[in-house]
Amino acid sequence: MLILSRKAGESLVIDGRIIVKIVRVEGDVVKVGIQAPSDIPVHREEVYEEIQKNNREALTQSRPMLPKFTRKSSAAKTETQHLEPVPSDTTPAK
Amino acid sequence: MAVKRENIIHLPLGLLGFEQIKKYVLLANASEEPFRWLQVLNDPKLAFLVISPPDFMPDYRPDLNPDDAKFIGLTTPGDALVFNIVTLRGPGRATVNLKGPIILNRFTLHGKQVIVTNASDYSVQHPLLGGD
Repeated sequence: MLILSRKAGESLVIDGRIIVKIVRVEGDVVKVGIQAPSDIPVHREEVYEEIQKNNREALTQSRPMLPKFTRKSSAAKTETQHLEPVPSDTTPAK
Repeated sequence: MAVKRENIIHLPLGLLGFEQIKKYVLLANASEEPFRWLQVLNDPKLAFLVISPPDFMPDYRPDLNPDDAKFIGLTTPGDALVFNIVTLRGPGRATVNLKGPIILNRFTLHGKQVIVTNASDYSVQHPLLGGD
């Protein structure tokens, strides 16, 4: 693994198109800003691994009998989902 | 089974752990509702069981990173279709992934498995059936 020293405010450039910036260092927490093309997903490793593992467990190669499940509400409410984009500290710096 | 091109679901980044599988089709059988199968287009043996939030958790509130909304091409929440992956854990037991839903643009059927920005509110293995 390549190991480099950086100070707050300094950046790294990967492959000419991904910028990793050390935004702030507070105690044992490092805030990192990542600017990458939209086809390069960036995730926190532990969350990525948790979902990856769950996807692998969910994949089925047969079509088992499904358990009975009663809807919690009428499907007529489908359009009311809340999906407003929100600002996040995971947003790459622009 | 013939699948019309306009019914193909495109996940350009695949699912996490299955990044190379990008094309799917959604199958529904009346006897299996509200569950549906997200089947791999080129390998019909492979499928993920999915469910839509209004059918099991009407107050589910996934928040999207603006870059994910842009990637999927969403301008309003109403443009989205949301599916959560279900894992069968044994007889009568199932969990559902609330942290990493599949969000599709309902008009283009292009989408992504996102990690919601309020991920800490939600479990990857939320009990759906059979208690916890």
